[in-house]
Amino acid sequence: MNTAQNTTQKAQQKAQIAKMEKAQTITQIVYSQFKEHKAAVIGAYVILIFVVVALSAPLIEKFTGLDAESQNVFNRYRPPMTRVKAGTDVRETSIQRFIDANPEEVLIIQNQLISQQLVKPIRPEDALYDWAQLDRTKAMDAIDLIDTSKKSELRAIANRFESFHILGTDELGRDVMMRLIYGTRVSMGVGILVALASALIGLLVGAVAGFYGGFIDTLLMRVTDALLSLPLMPVLIVVAADDLQKIPFISRILTSGNESILKLVLILCLFSWMSVARLVRGSILSLREREFILASKTLGATDYTLITRHMFPNVIAPMLVSVTLGVGESILFEAALSFLGLGIQPPTPSWGNMLFNAQELIYQAPFLAILPGLLILFVTISFNYLGDGLQDAIDPKAMRR
Amino acid sequence: MLTFILRRIVQTLVVIVILSYVCFGLMTLMPGDPVELMISANPRISAEDVTRLREFYGLDQPLIKRYYTWISDISKGELGYSRTYRIPVTEMMGPALTATFILSITSLLFSLIIAIPLGIVCALKPNSKVDYIANLFSFAGISVPSFWLGIVLIIIFAVNLRWLPAGGYQTTGLAYENIFQELMDKAKYLILPMVSLSVQSIGRFSRFTRSAMLEAMRNDYIRTARAKGLSNRVVIFQHGFRNALIPLITIIAISFSSIFSGALITETLFAYPGVGRLIYSSIIGNDFNVAMVAFVVSVSAVLIMSLVSDILYGVVDPRISYK
Repeated sequence: MNTAQNTTQKAQQKAQIAKMEKAQTITQIVYSQFKEHKAAVIGAYVILIFVVVALSAPLIEKFTGLDAESQNVFNRYRPPMTRVKAGTDVRETSIQRFIDANPEEVLIIQNQLISQQLVKPIRPEDALYDWAQLDRTKAMDAIDLIDTSKKSELRAIANRFESFHILGTDELGRDVMMRLIYGTRVSMGVGILVALASALIGLLVGAVAGFYGGFIDTLLMRVTDALLSLPLMPVLIVVAADDLQKIPFISRILTSGNESILKLVLILCLFSWMSVARLVRGSILSLREREFILASKTLGATDYTLITRHMFPNVIAPMLVSVTLGVGESILFEAALSFLGLGIQPPTPSWGNMLFNAQELIYQAPFLAILPGLLILFVTISFNYLGDGLQDAIDPKAMRR
Repeated sequence: MLTFILRRIVQTLVVIVILSYVCFGLMTLMPGDPVELMISANPRISAEDVTRLREFYGLDQPLIKRYYTWISDISKGELGYSRTYRIPVTEMMGPALTATFILSITSLLFSLIIAIPLGIVCALKPNSKVDYIANLFSFAGISVPSFWLGIVLIIIFAVNLRWLPAGGYQTTGLAYENIFQELMDKAKYLILPMVSLSVQSIGRFSRFTRSAMLEAMRNDYIRTARAKGLSNRVVIFQHGFRNALIPLITIIAISFSSIFSGALITETLFAYPGVGRLIYSSIIGNDFNVAMVAFVVSVSAVLIMSLVSDILYGVVDPRISYK
């Protein structure tokens, strides 16, 4: 018994030693370090789930038959898990669309509906419209009784007579779940875009300042410091309240369709590149004195090659951390600006502007105010943990073997 | 040291001047200038009147000239009138600045009172259960949108429990009998904004205290102090915490600007009459005089605060040399 245990233990030890002696690439080391940070791993999964849900928004729309835009003013502020009957206007437009699409088939269906006495319209042309006023189950029964090749399409229409809202409806009777899903697209999209773009700006500024030094460095770093010392929120509000269309150059970039989103990304980028710039400048200053840079310089490498080929790979890792943390921060700023009504403009849903609408409704529908904020909290906390985990993973001081 | 202080002062002044100019320029980009607003208020206004009004307000002048007129008026102490409230901007700025100052300071103190003990406890027992839970709360604190937290607090404490008012500064129409009653009444209105503003700094401060304290407790002099037979309390507070305090002061100095940023949203949400809300409402309401002055004054105040704390930093830690 004892000897058997001993041998297995020894085997395990041997395996461990073998594993330790095997050369590990830096990615493997970082990955194994990262895996030890449980919260960061969970954060990564949460982000992954959010991204998948956001990307599959059109699929979910198709599957549930709900969309983020259709309004239903008779069914506002419905609590979660309620079934709601669609308004007459919604039913009639879908019938209208069906009639426009299949004019011949409609005549057959109308005749059958009337002859089987399923509806009693005043004029025969109204037969389908009368059918549309039935309850969902009755309408379904009626389709079963008639003989037509368009049964499945009619069923799809009848299905939309009633909708089921898992998270209830908002102040215009729109489905909250679909709006949250589309809001995820906007909010996370803005957050990631801003973090990446500002990292790029920061990389450029930091690299130029750190590499060339002297007057350029002083100038760029003064600007960076000045921007860093400003309280961000008032500045963002002043800029966000501006009509950027009045600047000739920018008005060409901003098209009317998604103006508010692009404008927000632009503004947030303008004020969030500074930390990356300082980080990159710091690492490049120390890299500049290293032997391998001197070596490639003596081999005749141009400044461009030195910076992009030899220095950038060495600053990517710390930058990754700051980009990850930046996503969370950008999501918070987007939400704050949209919450103040200066960010993303309705009807485009974002978590922030959903809260903006909901803050006046805390008496009627407190639920509306809680959900978007919870999502913001989950996503930012995940990004922050992810960044923390990455930082631990790439920090050589924290490496445990 | 002296050159450092002088350079920092000059730098701050330059930033303030540039900022005020940029801000002045940005204000012209806002939808609707004063004359456009008058036109929309009076559609029968004639074209000659419009040009006359533009001339009167100096709107036909180039930007730099208008800025010069504005800044020289400001330096003479003439801040102009609020277009919405029809009172001098000076009268609005005083109470607003005081209100924001009270809110920011109480929330700073509140977050320090909670965060520092929390950070110390975590640092003394790293990777324990307490540390783990506190860490989770710190992360939640950093990640939570403060305005949403404010809404949740209002729903819980003002709508459901009815313990605290949902917003405002003091009970309207209440005549105070004594100063104690006045303080109690105002404190009641301050609690919710203060808590929602503090949460983020609590998270940041406690994480920072933890790492600074961990760093300090790793030093050799801690081992020496313990070997000398000093009591645990003396080791922790006299030798550990005092050294951890130095990096903590920097983070407090930096957090002035973020607390002020947060105050803007919190004040708007809780209808608290501070500068942040003044900036927001005047920008939304096209009240440019107020917006400009409130913005420049409050941002300058933040910059001067961080300048002062930068200088004090050197006083606290004589090891820091300024080059």
